[in-house]
This record gives sequence, C-alpha cells and structure tokens, in this order.
Amino acid sequence: MIKQMGFIFNADACIGCMACEVACRNENKTFANVKWRRVTKISQDSFLSNSCNHCSSPECFRVCPESAFTKRYDGIVLIDSSLCNGCKLCVQACPYDAPQFDYETNKVTKCQMCYPRQDQGLLPACVEACSTAALGLTDLEVFMDPKAVPAIEGFPDIRITQPSIAFYPVRKKERYFLEN
Amino acid sequence: METFRNVCPRNCYGTCGIISHVENGMLTKVTGDPKHGFSRGRLCAKGYAYTQFVYNSYRLKYPIIQSPRGSGNWKRISWDDAYNIIAEKILELNDRYGSNLALSYSKFSGNIGLLHFATEGMFNSFGPHTKPFGNLCMGTGEMAIKTSFGKMASPVPEDMAEAKLIVIWGANPAVTNIHQMKFIYAARKKGAKIVVIDPVFTETALKADLYIQIKPGSDAYLSFGIAKLLLEKKTPEHHPEHLNGWEEYKNFLQNNVDMDQICQKTGVKYEYIEKLAELYHNCKPAATWSGFGIQRNKYGGESVEALNSLAALSGNINVVKGGGVYFAHGDIYDFPLNLANFPEKKHPSISQSRLINISNFAAAIRELKEPPVKFLWIASRSPLSQDQNFKAWEELFQEMELIVTVDLYMTNAAKMSDIILPAASHFEEEDLNVGYWHHWLAINEKAIPPYFEAKSDLQIARELTKRLNELSPGFSDFPYDLEPIDWIKKELTPEIKKIYGISSYKDLLDGPRHRKQIETVCEEAFSFHIPKKWNPDAQDKKPYPYRLLSPQSLLKIHSQFSNISWLHPELEETVAEISKKTAEEKDIKDGMKVRIFNGHGTVTATAKINAFLPEDVILVRQTAKNTINRLITTRLHDENNPESTYFYDSFVDISKKEGH
Ligand code: SF4
Ligand code: SF4
Ligand code: SF4
Repeated sequence: MIKQMGFIFNADACIGCMACEVACRNENKTFANVKWRRVTKISQDSFLSNSCNHCSSPECFRVCPESAFTKRYDGIVLIDSSLCNGCKLCVQACPYDAPQFDYETNKVTKCQMCYPRQDQGLLPACVEACSTAALGLTDLEVFMDPKAVPAIEGFPDIRITQPSIAFYPVRKKERYFLEN
Repeated sequence: METFRNVCPRNCYGTCGIISHVENGMLTKVTGDPKHGFSRGRLCAKGYAYTQFVYNSYRLKYPIIQSPRGSGNWKRISWDDAYNIIAEKILELNDRYGSNLALSYSKFSGNIGLLHFATEGMFNSFGPHTKPFGNLCMGTGEMAIKTSFGKMASPVPEDMAEAKLIVIWGANPAVTNIHQMKFIYAARKKGAKIVVIDPVFTETALKADLYIQIKPGSDAYLSFGIAKLLLEKKTPEHHPEHLNGWEEYKNFLQNNVDMDQICQKTGVKYEYIEKLAELYHNCKPAATWSGFGIQRNKYGGESVEALNSLAALSGNINVVKGGGVYFAHGDIYDFPLNLANFPEKKHPSISQSRLINISNFAAAIRELKEPPVKFLWIASRSPLSQDQNFKAWEELFQEMELIVTVDLYMTNAAKMSDIILPAASHFEEEDLNVGYWHHWLAINEKAIPPYFEAKSDLQIARELTKRLNELSPGFSDFPYDLEPIDWIKKELTPEIKKIYGISSYKDLLDGPRHRKQIETVCEEAFSFHIPKKWNPDAQDKKPYPYRLLSPQSLLKIHSQFSNISWLHPELEETVAEISKKTAEEKDIKDGMKVRIFNGHGTVTATAKINAFLPEDVILVRQTAKNTINRLITTRLHDENNPESTYFYDSFVDISKKEGH
C-alpha cells in the first residue's frame, strides 16, 4: 500500500460545534438515523468527532460474509452497499459504530472519506467544515509528529483494528470554581 | 449546476458568506464562501443544514387563516384574499380613529438583512402609527459603549489573533460565534493566554487556559477589583492621567473599592483577582470581550462601562491590533437604511408615531389609550418563544382585532395569530447584509424560486401597500414599483461605496468586501465612569431561590432551526440544568421530570445535573415550543431609554413533578 489516508483529531481544539457532522450530511445526503460522522462528548474535558477510521486491519472487512468491503490504494475502506445483505455483522464488529444500518434500505453505508472529493483534490467535507482545524486529513504513512498520540481518553480500543487516526490530546487548564 | 452568493441572515455574530449550489431550481447543497474573510469558507452546523431549512415539511406554503384564533382550525386562502382582509381592517381602524395609531408591529432579528426593514418602511408609509424602538438584545451594552467611548465601535475580530491576552466575559463563542474561535486559537498559538470569566462553565471555558467562575451579575465588581490591584502595580508615571475622569476613577478605586467586599460579591478569591490583574499588567495588547451575557441583568450597563474602564487603565483602548474592547459595532448605521428610515407620511394633526420600548413591548402597548392598539403585525420574530412577560402578550393578543404573522414556520406566536403569511427564506430573495461583529459587506442573491407561495417582507410590503392604495387612494406612499435591486442600489451611496471600496453592487457578486476604514475609538473621546450608586453591601432581593439563566442552544437560534432533523433528530426537550446541591436538596435525579416555577407560571422540564453550575443557578437553554421565557418578566430602569431586556434577572424555584 502506497498511502494510508487518515484523520487527525485535535481534542484540545475541538469545541463540539457539530459543523463536521452536519457538513457530512450536507455533502452526502444521509438522512434519518444514518450518521457517517458523529460528535460526542467523550470525557469531562473533551469532545470527539468520529467517523469510519479506515483502519489498517478493518474488522468490517474481515467479518462481512458478502465481501462487500474493499480497501483502496490510499487506504480508504469502502463498502459496496449493493452487495450488503443487511446481516449487520460489520455494525457489531466495528469498535467505532462506523457502519450505519439504514432502516429504509436495509443496507449498511458508511463514511467513504469523501473519496470523490479527494479524487478531485478537495478535502473531505467534514475536514473542510471544521473552523477550528480540530479535524484534519493526512497520509499516516508519512505523518510524524512527536506531539501526536494514538488515542485519547474515551476513544475505543485501537488494538483490534488499528484505526487511521492520530490525536492531539487536551492540554492542562487552570480552573477556579465558586466555592459557594 | 449553478452557484449563487448568499448570506446567512440570522441574528448571529457570523453573518457568514454562503455559496448555494442549485440544480434545476432546487437548492442541493450549501458551502461556505471562501472569499468571506471572517467565516472563510465555512458555516456552522445550522448553516450546513440549510437545505433542510428550505425544504421542510413543516414549512408554511400558503397564506392561511384560522378561526377562532388559537383553534388550529386553519384554512388556506389566496394572497389576494389575505391582502383584502388585512387592508380592510387597516382602513377600518383608520376610519374609526382618524389615524393609524391603532396599528403596531413587533419585528426583530429573525432576518437581519437590510431589505427586511421593508416592514418598518411599510408602516412609515402609512403615517404615524405605534412604533417600537430600541434593541432588546444589546441596547444596554450599546448605551454603555457609547457612554465610555462616545460612539459605537468594536475592533476587527480577525485582529484578535494578535492579542497577547484575551479575556472573554460572559460570551460563549464556542457555541454562539464559532468562527471567532480560530482567531482566538491563532493568538494562543503565538503565546496569548485565553481567559474566560463566566458563571457558567461553558464550552468556551472548557477551552480556556484560565477559567474563573463568577457569581452572576457581578462582573462590574470583579473588574473594579482587578482595576484596584492593577493600579497598585502601576507606578504613577504609568497612570493614564490624560484620560477624562481619571481622578474620580482613581479615587474611587483607592477609596471605595474594598477587596474583601469584592471577593464576597463576586465569589472570586483574592489570589485569582490578583492573577487577573497580573495578566492585564503584563500582557499587551489585551483584548477584552464584553459578552451580551453580562448586560442581561440590571447592572449590565455598569458592568460594560467598568470593563471599558479596565481596558483603558490597562492601556488597551488605543488602536493596536489585538487590543480594545469587543462588543458589537454599529456599521449598519453608516447606511442610509432607506427602508427603516422611510419618511413617515404626514398626518394633518399628529406629528409623529407613538414610540414604545421594544424591550417591554407587550406591557407598554397595553397601556396605550386613545386610541388603543388593535392591529398587530409580527415578522422576523416569535415573541411567545423568546420575549418576556407572556401574560402581557397573551392579554395583548386578546385585545387585538387582527394579528398577522409573517414567518417560515408555525411558531408559538404564529399559532396565536389570525393570518399567517408564508415568508421566503434568504435563498428566495435578494438582500444586502452587514453584521454587527465582523466588518464585511455582502450581497445575497436570489438563488431559487420561492418555496410554494412564500414571499419576502419587501414583496409583501409592496403588494399590501399597492392594495391599500387601490382601496383608498393615497393611503400609503410606499414606492411599490421599486425592485429589490433598486433598494440595494439605494443603500450603496457614494459614501458607502467609498467605505467598502466598491464601485457598484456588482463588485459584491465577486465576493464580500471588508470596510476600508474601521470606526475606532480614541483616547480623547473616552471617559472613565464610576457607578452612580455604589453600595456593595446591598443584597439583591430574591423572590425565588434560584437565578434563571437562559442562554442559546448550540443548534438553534431561539426557535429557529428547531424543525430540522439533521440537527434535532429527536423531539425537542426543555432541559433544566441544576447543581448537585439543588439535586440533593430537592431529591431530583438526572432525567427526572421537574417543574420550574415562579409567580409568572410553571414550565415542565427534564432535569440534568451539572456539577459545575453555581448552586443558586438554574440554567435552561432556549427552546422553540415549551419555552422557559414564560417565567421571565423583567423591568427596565427607564422606559424611555433603549435598554435591553434583563432576561437574567429572573428567579425561579424547582420541584419534582408529581408521580416521581
Ligand atoms: S467541526 Fe471541528 S470543532 Fe466542530 S465538532 Fe467537528 S471537529 Fe470539533
Ligand atoms: S470524510 Fe466525508 S463521508 Fe467521511 S465523515 Fe467526513 S464528510 Fe462524511
Ligand atoms: S448561524 Fe451564524 S455561524 Fe451559522 S451559518 Fe449563520 S451566520 Fe454563520
């Protein structure tokens, strides 16, 4: 594999504004319960904006009986929903809730890292939408930053699938609350 | 696929540039306008949901009428019939009272585009009527800024990136002004310290280097405390002796400000006040941001003035990038505002409209006699979601003979109207937009045809005035032949073109333009102010034990955006955040149904324990339907002043709902 495209998430910068989540819907027109990207508060101090992490060892890929998943030359994991039989094994196997079961079509869809945009030289819609630059895109094969870490508190276990995401953790802050 | 330039016209700091993507007359996608230098090609979550805002099964499609009022028994009518009913009532009232003083309107910030002043223009074209004045959201802060600096001004928000210290008082940009965060972060990257002072541990506080929690409404006290300690650090040659009011201010700090009292009033320990004084002393330039939150209580004006003084004492009111006091600017007042200022038609015996304070609209209108107000027009607003004194509103509604609401959605106020006229979204009309935070001017193109029979405020003004004149020649002198583009051109006077460096509106079709000259404050015009009455020992009377704070929700602006499933997949819930101590005392658990009440009413909500909330605060974010504003009734200092509504001077109690 030549490349492994992945996300960079700066937990210190993310304000939980959900622009990325809704920008994904605006771009990809996913409706109802299908959320390719989700913003949650994962700990006292931090939000998480998470989607499919286009893992190095994708469990979805491994468990799918229909071989609906593929991994592109640039590391993007894709699902061909027309092959999906609706068994939801991938939904259960993924630690990040990335495969989303669409109750209207009875098929699974998920984040495709905006490959049509990337193929045109554009950033994924979610990355483009992030006004604080908390969410970024990089080629993890070449990305190197000693300040980056492989996981943050509250992020699911990374050992199973080796997700293509790197983090900047929250820095320490000074806070004084009323003593009442 | 075609693209158009639009502007988000919400009452928001952003006033973001939008590129709308249109296929076969349908809005298929929105993206940020990369040429907008403040929003820089991005929108917020609400902005990215605009396709759902435009095409939405809850959107109003046709003019409708209900009878009786409030029954929900709505019937579709034609625009023609709607205009006739409205015009006949207007003419009948004019006949009855010999003037149009029985007509009034309640319009605010639902769409802040300049062409939306068509409503005001339409009423002016009738001659003297009953006219709201003021600004219920930020009037008090505006007056305080003018008192200190002699004018309304606010620095360039992009320049905040050059600050060495940013102190945010009672603003929560991570929720209400997300595009500002990147400039704050840019400053931090260059070594600036970010400080948040707020009674609520907000999303912005979560990101700050230093967060100091303060008792609600005590910002003036804290700033005097900081100022006193800062003064002690300064050697006399660094005193700003050349500034107006310096001696009184200095004496006040030295003789009247007692640090024990300050600590007690604010709940902030001496060492943290010392820390803030140290920061203001050492870091220059320092940006001080007076959030709208600090002026939502009756000491709000004093708090904003006190922060202005602190900025001056610390040497931060000169025009250095990154310094200054941020609040909101008045760039809009440089425009002729031909619609808002449309000359009032002359009346033979009445010289001008009756003015009433918008911050106390419903109660004030009800006092009027000879003639009483009988006709109410509501646009760009749902007072029964976000105003105060609902009892007065409900009584007012009962006294009206006709209520017309113009809106895109069935709001709480629309439900209580006789006629609803469906409003166009900003994608369906032309407009010109200036914000109140950044200094960009942008044009809003018509990108798509109107949704069903929706019309803009301007189109409605044109058609209704025309109908009135057909029925009663000369009734209105509104120039209904003028097209939107004519009004846009009229706003772009030679002076305005110079300010923005454009030669025609067409330049704006290539992208938004920044002001060439920014209104700045100068030291000569500045004066220090000390509080008129200074009695820190006085205790505020609390009729109920908890202070109610009712800030905005992330994914709504008041009731707007509440019907959008991308943003709100679940039914709207009113959530009451309470402290741990309140939860223990009242035996309330997370998720329980609670009643919040005071003398004005009761609101049912779902409890959520917030470990960081001050014990005597209950926080309920703004909702569309079951709104906490039902419990808010506040008083102005002076009805004749354009003060804002003191929403945070509301007190409530709480209990478990029966059955728990
Ligand atoms: S857009 Fe950026 S800051 Fe906002 S929630 Fe997403 S990652 Fe966080
Ligand atoms: S990369 Fe594209 S598809 Fe994936 S979450 Fe972001 S916007 Fe959605
Ligand atoms: S609501 Fe505010 S931040 Fe969001 S798109 Fe509109 S102006 Fe921009």
